[in-house]
Amino acid sequence: MKRARSGGDEDAPRQNGSAGRRTEDQHPGDAEGEGSDFGPADLQNNENDPSLRREIRSKYRELISSVQQNREDMLSPSNNKLTEVLEEANQLFKDVRQAREAALDAQLLVMATDLGKEKAGQLFSEGTAFDPAAFTEHLLSFMGINRLEEGDEEQQNGSTFGGYLPQDAWHRLSRRAECCFRTAPSFHYMMGSFHAEPPPPKQRIERQRKALTTEAKRTVPTQLKKMETSHQEATEKEVERILGCLKRYYEDDPASPISYFEFVIDPKSFARTVENIFHTSFLIRDDLARLYLNDEKLPCIAHVEEGEVEAEGSGRRKQCIMSLCEETWKEIIDAFDIQESMIPPPEVDDE
Amino acid sequence: MTQRNRLSHTQSASQSRRQPSTSAAQEEDDDTIFTQPSSTQVQKGLEKLTAAEVERKVAEVVQYFLVKDQKKVPVRRAELVKNVVKEYRNVYPEIIKRTARTLDQVFGLKLVEIDSKNHMYILVNNLEPADGASPINSPTSPKMGLLFVILSVVFMKGGVVRENLIWNTLKKLRVDPGEKHEEFGDVKRLVTDEFVRQRYLEYARIPHTEPIEHEFRWGQRADAEVSKAKILEFLGQLFEQEPQSWSQQYKEAHSSQASSSSQR
Repeated sequence: MKRARSGGDEDAPRQNGSAGRRTEDQHPGDAEGEGSDFGPADLQNNENDPSLRREIRSKYRELISSVQQNREDMLSPSNNKLTEVLEEANQLFKDVRQAREAALDAQLLVMATDLGKEKAGQLFSEGTAFDPAAFTEHLLSFMGINRLEEGDEEQQNGSTFGGYLPQDAWHRLSRRAECCFRTAPSFHYMMGSFHAEPPPPKQRIERQRKALTTEAKRTVPTQLKKMETSHQEATEKEVERILGCLKRYYEDDPASPISYFEFVIDPKSFARTVENIFHTSFLIRDDLARLYLNDEKLPCIAHVEEGEVEAEGSGRRKQCIMSLCEETWKEIIDAFDIQESMIPPPEVDDE
Repeated sequence: MTQRNRLSHTQSASQSRRQPSTSAAQEEDDDTIFTQPSSTQVQKGLEKLTAAEVERKVAEVVQYFLVKDQKKVPVRRAELVKNVVKEYRNVYPEIIKRTARTLDQVFGLKLVEIDSKNHMYILVNNLEPADGASPINSPTSPKMGLLFVILSVVFMKGGVVRENLIWNTLKKLRVDPGEKHEEFGDVKRLVTDEFVRQRYLEYARIPHTEPIEHEFRWGQRADAEVSKAKILEFLGQLFEQEPQSWSQQYKEAHSSQASSSSQR
């Protein structure tokens, strides 16, 4: 970039522009004196000459760009380049007549003042200067850097020059730096929040139960004094008993159908009624009995001979759910005037 | 405070004013909805409410602050009123007063308004920090160490530092803004975005720079939370110098300690 030296590169434009009038301007020493020698005629010529205007503007732009490009250079406290730029601008300003040029001048001045502010900032710290590079060295030592024997290869190796930082380097620094901060400790629930997972204890309980049952089975009685009827067997016995009842009624009077309700309901016990329905359902499932609706749309139950089943085929199969509550049970007893159950209650074993 | 004025002047001089002013405009909008009620209005408002109602609202505000503080982002008065205080806004000053008292007496935290123009609050630890490292082995975030480095450099260099100096310093510590760091991840984003949002740092554009450069300053939260004197003490240990040898900074650290109420 062109150095904006006063009087330095003025030779070039001088050749393009109106050389005569401009020569006087560019000598810094003579500037003030020459300026006052301008007659009104000269001033008018300056104002109207577009090439002169353009020249001035281009000079300003050069100055501005040179300031931008050489910012670092100008900031250095070792030279006076900034002052030189300002003096240069001062000279140019003498020729400024129009707003456009003045605007450029103003822009240059703003930049120069910003630079000036920065330079002034550099003058800070009268006491011992603070060197960030030394700071980083001390920090690295504090963080526990592991300086290896430096061969030439290490130096050339870009990233890990001069040693390795341990894993907890930054943690170490943070702990020490913490006391400089009065940070409010962050709010956290002490026990954390809940996890949406199935709780583990359930499995343990299951295992415990299994362990217990296996042990229980081991204590088998050596002598069976009484045959304990398991639930399964009891049901089957009941079902067979009811089948027996049904057969008997059927044989007594094969023509008249047996009302389902009259058959299962025990007017003395709701529980027994439910049990009867339960056992009857096994009969129906096993095709030993069948349910049908008679002419009055009331359910009836009838015994089925084995032979009949095969003839009917599988298309006839239907399912239904019987539900009965105590009120309904009472209503049916009243409606059908059931006095006693058709299925006698089972003989009570010594329970 | 002078740093604050300097910042606004440089920004008004250039076109980089755009971004701060839009957020300021939004604040204005929210604030026009909420204007601080006068003390007589507050008195009247309190008469209409039961003590239990007010206490419950205060508890809600306390909880809001505690949770919001986890991320260390300041709480705006406008959002506080909109989300929590709601219909109790006519007694807002009383609620804030009691919240501050609760936070202080129960949690040892200080409610600080870091921006009286935009009305933003942060929580600061009101208890005296332990000498040296904390005796509790709580896990510290390594980010604090990084922040400490940046704040120290800015402070020691007079309060304003160009970003290049910070990046170069960090590079010497094996933290490169251009690369992903294994502890900090995207360092540039952490420093210029997260720390700035948390108000630990200010990252302002330097006008007339091509390509665009920025400078770092201490943020409002740093002013409230960080003790310059303690930084000098630590630096003294590192450099094996007396903190007083940095006379300018020492003066600033101990004068600001006297004036700012947060650094007791």
